[in-house]
Amino acid sequence: MKTWRKDREVQANMRLPGGWQLPPFGIHQVLALVIVAVALWSVGLVWLALQGGQQWVGSWQQEVKVHVYVDKENRSMVGGLQKRLSKLEGVQAVRVVEQQEALLWMQKWLGGSGLDAKGFTQHLPDSIEVTLATPRHELVLQHIKEVAEKQGGSVNDDELSLAQAWDVLATIQNLAWFATLIMAMAMALIVSNTLRMILLARAEEVHLMRLMGAKEWFVRLPFILEGLLLGAGAALLAWLLQWPMLWFTSSWQLSLGIDLSGWAMLLPLLLSGALVGGLGALIATAHIVSPDNET
Amino acid sequence: MNESETIIHMKNLMLRYPTGKVALSGLNMDIPQGSFVYLIGESGAGKSTLLRMIYGGLRPTSGQLKVQEQMIRGASDGQIRALRQRIGIIFQGNRLLFSRTVFENVAMPLRVQGWDAQRLLPRVKKVLSFVGLEDRLWSYPETLSGGEQQRIAIARAMISNPPLILADEPTGNLDDDTARHVLDLLTSLNKLGTTVLMATHDLHLLTSHPGHVVQLRQGALVMGQTS
Repeated sequence: MKTWRKDREVQANMRLPGGWQLPPFGIHQVLALVIVAVALWSVGLVWLALQGGQQWVGSWQQEVKVHVYVDKENRSMVGGLQKRLSKLEGVQAVRVVEQQEALLWMQKWLGGSGLDAKGFTQHLPDSIEVTLATPRHELVLQHIKEVAEKQGGSVNDDELSLAQAWDVLATIQNLAWFATLIMAMAMALIVSNTLRMILLARAEEVHLMRLMGAKEWFVRLPFILEGLLLGAGAALLAWLLQWPMLWFTSSWQLSLGIDLSGWAMLLPLLLSGALVGGLGALIATAHIVSPDNET
Repeated sequence: MNESETIIHMKNLMLRYPTGKVALSGLNMDIPQGSFVYLIGESGAGKSTLLRMIYGGLRPTSGQLKVQEQMIRGASDGQIRALRQRIGIIFQGNRLLFSRTVFENVAMPLRVQGWDAQRLLPRVKKVLSFVGLEDRLWSYPETLSGGEQQRIAIARAMISNPPLILADEPTGNLDDDTARHVLDLLTSLNKLGTTVLMATHDLHLLTSHPGHVVQLRQGALVMGQTS
């Protein structure tokens, strides 16, 4: 009875090599997990910061629009200005904002405060909305400003600044992609190096399995699985490490009017972690040399 | 000899290493199924090389080598894998995995062949009882004596019930009594119908455990040529 119980117990914990059985988790894997987690965490922070920057400049909107204002005394210039603006390179559309539309916007802005929106609207300048083409022409903002000022109008400088900030963010986004790619390669190499060490430690086991006629997938699968799990585990750790950063910066977020989502990072981190882990595993197992197995 | 009864067939078998050194040359031999063959010769005579060729670890440079109806020279990787599943190998240094239990070591060939864990246990117990070590199922090899380790290696080689067992100096590191015990086990296996091809230096064992003797010298057969 005792032997039977022991058999059952050991059977449940048996560590047979190959196939779907993972190699034991040791110090090498722990180190790789921590290094990859820190790398993923830093990449995640870069993307979170970018997300915050984009929210701050309001660039979640698909189109960038610039408003040109014409004072009441120059109202006669609106038609000509609209034509000149629409001829500019890099301008997609130009339209005059109707009084009714301005009234609705004013009512919304006043938020039902009981103030006379119509009265305020009468004092607003005429407004021309300029929609920019994508990708944005390099000098279009400057040209709009010049044309508007020549025709007696003015441009909302805040919108120009935001548009320029959007340009900066687009450049930062490209840099973030580049950094992510470099970090991904470095992480894949770390996983690959760790798995090579484990493979080296288990070279005899691999050799024996091959001498017994094991198929190559059977020999390699545990290491591929380990790479995937290592990457996904590191991603989970990186994701958890982002929360303290989000909590520490919550007052900044509030004051800047942004709302960073840690949850939105979970799936991208898990997928990219598993991807770099799998890539590292593929690199590590691409060529496993055993004696008696070279044909 | 009837070809269907031949488990290993060699004809003008030659192996030359990439360095140009000839390891084996002009081997002609048929080993019948169910026989017990001693492969003797000095160190460097080519015994281990021949065993390696038989399980597909080395490919002949020229000539024919057919093992269990499988030509080795032109065999694909898949065919070699299939052949290896039908051969039990016992190494001189036993090559047990010391980080794994006796059960895990012995079960390995069946695990490789896709047996599930539930079916493994009774089979491993059966072969361990054959080698007299059923009580060491959950021990680690380092807790066993040299003779016991070699018996575990025999259990591992026989667990998939292969028609052919290759033994490379299985008694090389053992004292006489233990070596005789190991040889008793191999003889018992042979009596059950398994062909045993054993490379050895221990010629005195041949008197107590008779078998067909094949002698190699400098890569050539000098005794036991059967073709």
